[in-house]
Amino acid sequence: MIERAGIARRSTPEVRASGVRPWHGYGLGLRSEHFDAVLDEHPAVDWFEIISENFMVAGGKPRHYLDQVRSRYPLAMHGVSLSIGSTDPLDLDYLRELKQLARHVEPIWISDHLCWTGNGGINSHDLLPLPYTGEAIAHVVARLQQVQEFLGREILIENVSTYVGFANAEMDEAAFLGEIARRSGCRILLDVNNIYVSSRNHGFDADAYVAALPAERIWQIHLAGHSDYGHYVIDTHDHPVREEVWDLYARTLERIGAVTTMIERDDHLPPLAELVAELDHARRIGNQVAQSAPAVCA
Amino acid sequence: MIALHALEERLLAHLRKGAGFPREWCAQGLVDSDLGLSIYANAYHSRLREALEADHAQLAAYLGDALWAEFCAGYIEAHPSRVRSLRHFGVQVPAWLGTHAPFTEHPEIAELALFERELLDVFDAADDRRIDWAAMQALDVAAWPSVRLGFHPSVCLLPTQTNAVEIWRALKETQPPPAVSPSATPARLLWRDAERVSRFRPVDADELLALQEMVSAQQDFAAMCARLAGVKPASEVPALAIGFLRQWFDEGIISHLEIASEHAPAQRYAQRD
Repeated sequence: MIERAGIARRSTPEVRASGVRPWHGYGLGLRSEHFDAVLDEHPAVDWFEIISENFMVAGGKPRHYLDQVRSRYPLAMHGVSLSIGSTDPLDLDYLRELKQLARHVEPIWISDHLCWTGNGGINSHDLLPLPYTGEAIAHVVARLQQVQEFLGREILIENVSTYVGFANAEMDEAAFLGEIARRSGCRILLDVNNIYVSSRNHGFDADAYVAALPAERIWQIHLAGHSDYGHYVIDTHDHPVREEVWDLYARTLERIGAVTTMIERDDHLPPLAELVAELDHARRIGNQVAQSAPAVCA
Repeated sequence: MIALHALEERLLAHLRKGAGFPREWCAQGLVDSDLGLSIYANAYHSRLREALEADHAQLAAYLGDALWAEFCAGYIEAHPSRVRSLRHFGVQVPAWLGTHAPFTEHPEIAELALFERELLDVFDAADDRRIDWAAMQALDVAAWPSVRLGFHPSVCLLPTQTNAVEIWRALKETQPPPAVSPSATPARLLWRDAERVSRFRPVDADELLALQEMVSAQQDFAAMCARLAGVKPASEVPALAIGFLRQWFDEGIISHLEIASEHAPAQRYAQRD
């Protein structure tokens, strides 16, 4: 069923997001380099996102810190191994471990990527692009339904940055993602940086991409840095969020209302305080936009 | 019509081998398809190399740039990842180094790699409680011969032929590695302590026998003493054996005690976290 977005004018992101879309504020990716700082400094971060696979270990420091952070902050679980678009069978062992971890963590939600990571049993450990075809939609939707049934919850699926498109595409990426969300019931984790990166690489309109998505299904936003090589852009997660991505983020919120947001940084990690300051910038944008933008309500 | 399976198979083969993905299957965006494919291919290889280097930092330093690059290329080609996490991508590294020239000519190389892998396993092995010496003392002395020890899941007994661990330590401290020589002790014991710090220490020949009985063969205390009696005068065995037990408890590497009885099922004692 396609939910309809109503229009309302409210004063805070929390109130404005209280319709169809849950609101958890502003989060950061939890990285091992910051474990001690998170516990010692108790930063003003509303929640943390973990990479699920990093904590699918038997014990030791990873699980110890996971429990410590979980006792103080809500957590979201973000995976990189679902490989929802692969034509290999779903990895049921992975799903069992994911479900077990979710029972332990009680996350605000579970997410992964709209991509494939391996084929023929070989894992590329990369988020590889899918062709935007009806065949791929049917394949991904069926697997998402299986995953969601197994986990007993709807998950969020993230758009990835891409560097190659395929000649057999029957639609654009936004239509592909939107249709999968509608048919599978999954939510969307919208990576605004990835939209920007792919729009530069493929020459599409980033704002039109956002406008084409079912807004009420966008439950989370990722922000990250990228490397700009002039005639192409790579999603590197090793820089602060760039100005053009902040601008697209603001325009996205203006269009779809407040969305739970987090910043990803995976390389060249600065001190935690720097990331918290960067997150405050996202918070300021969210609050500014909240004064005027429409909200998505049930 | 390009089937999804065929597209994935051909693209992955392209990433691994650098050729084979039909250019007519690519749409022409602003980025040329050759460049786009090379971005993925470069990322594939660099990600796997980085994983190996993260897990084997001292091995990389020991080999130097040229040999390290040769190793990475050979290993990545021979062992495409079939594991979910990059944490386990290098699990076959020691075996590969032990069977491929020129690395086979230097046995300390495979041993250095094995030591680094064991440290990784120690780091995230399962948690368990640790019991202290008082639990052993609380037992009836008559029960001691049938005591079996449950070691902490992080405990690893690593036989050593060369001074690879000394080489590892020097490199870790950014010192020049010592010349290769036979190992001064026959094994190392590795474990994670109660503060979640990874530890290791040398194990002499007598303790190795004791640990082989208790850790590897999961025998009881009587069997351990009998094994020691094979290499030591009988009068020295009790003190030696009890000394080993005491040390293991003090190091916090014992998680359980089991006492087998002829008349009752084995009892498990566990005292404190």
